[in-house]
Amino acid sequence: MDERDLINRVRAGDGTAERALYDAHVDRVYRLAYRLAGDDVLAQDFTQETFIRAFARLDTFRGDSALSTWLHAITTTVVLNGLRKVKRFRQREADLEAADGVSGGRREAEPDLKARLTRAIDALPQGYRTVFVMHDVEGYTHEEIGAALGVETGTSKAQLSRARAKLREALADFAGEWVS
Amino acid sequence: MMHDDDRFNKWLQETAKGYHDPRPTPRDEMWARIAAERQRRAARVIELRPWLRWTLAAAALLVLGVGIGRWTALQDRGLGDGTPVAASDTGGRGLLYRVAATQYLSRTEAFLTGFRADLRAGRADARFTGQARDLLTTTRLLLDSPAADDPRLRALLEDLELVLVQISQLPAGRDPHDTDLITQGMDQRSVLPKLRSAIPAGPVPVRTEGVL
Repeated sequence: MDERDLINRVRAGDGTAERALYDAHVDRVYRLAYRLAGDDVLAQDFTQETFIRAFARLDTFRGDSALSTWLHAITTTVVLNGLRKVKRFRQREADLEAADGVSGGRREAEPDLKARLTRAIDALPQGYRTVFVMHDVEGYTHEEIGAALGVETGTSKAQLSRARAKLREALADFAGEWVS
Repeated sequence: MMHDDDRFNKWLQETAKGYHDPRPTPRDEMWARIAAERQRRAARVIELRPWLRWTLAAAALLVLGVGIGRWTALQDRGLGDGTPVAASDTGGRGLLYRVAATQYLSRTEAFLTGFRADLRAGRADARFTGQARDLLTTTRLLLDSPAADDPRLRALLEDLELVLVQISQLPAGRDPHDTDLITQGMDQRSVLPKLRSAIPAGPVPVRTEGVL
């Protein structure tokens, strides 16, 4: 079925069309939410919220861009706002633990490359990390990223370049891995 | 020959594929929860409507009360007996303020009880800020009316004003700390027990008799 027809049927309150629209897009939405959140419960929450908002606001979708672009814009907004809240909450918990003297102390350096890479990506500034995950991990184009995040394509490219530079610096110990 | 940067970027893209690698999408699970949540939110919108009607009714009653009060005061001045407005409470005016105050206190009690219950269940959402703003308007109207001449009611209204201001200003992206501060403040000042003791027993029409 044509996407425009599907949207019109959803707007008319057709439950089957809603499910079809959900099925067509849920994988990419969930994958992006999971990659950015790194947690299944959060990823499911963010995916659910994305579709709830999308169905509630579908009347405002003008069709200037693809539905997937519009949907990914909602996804990134929901995920990034949600992660900010989670970060604030975890920071407060960490502060309380530190104040109570119950923190486990400094962790040993992780010798495993994949674990180091994961930590280095997690430590990127939010903007760099989002662009890096969308482009290098999930395969979005800079045009798609720009549309989803509301930034210029050039900004997306610049942020990706800075993200890669930071990762290279963080993984300098493993230089032999990519030189060989 | 491949440049070092290109080698790194290629290696990075390959290696990073394992970053937070998602499991298969739990489609049906999420769809069921989306459907349930949409139904719940739709029901809440319908729930809000009677609240709005109550607010408008109470506000209209207060405006009427203030109007009658001013008119009566002018009449009193016209007669030249020199009685202060606050002390010249006639039966009609007093009853109107009492009806308005009782309705307001009942609604505020229901609102704060619901707010606390939803906080405990982790469900407090944006509708609370809107309702708090509506109630805040009525609180301030009451504070400026002769109903607040009663020192006990004035103290309660001032406590409620503070709580409602805090709830109405809760940020959209609030965290549990914001709401904890509000509930702690309510507990410290015993707002809910005071509020409940200020509302006479019985259904609303009966409560208006001898309130406060």
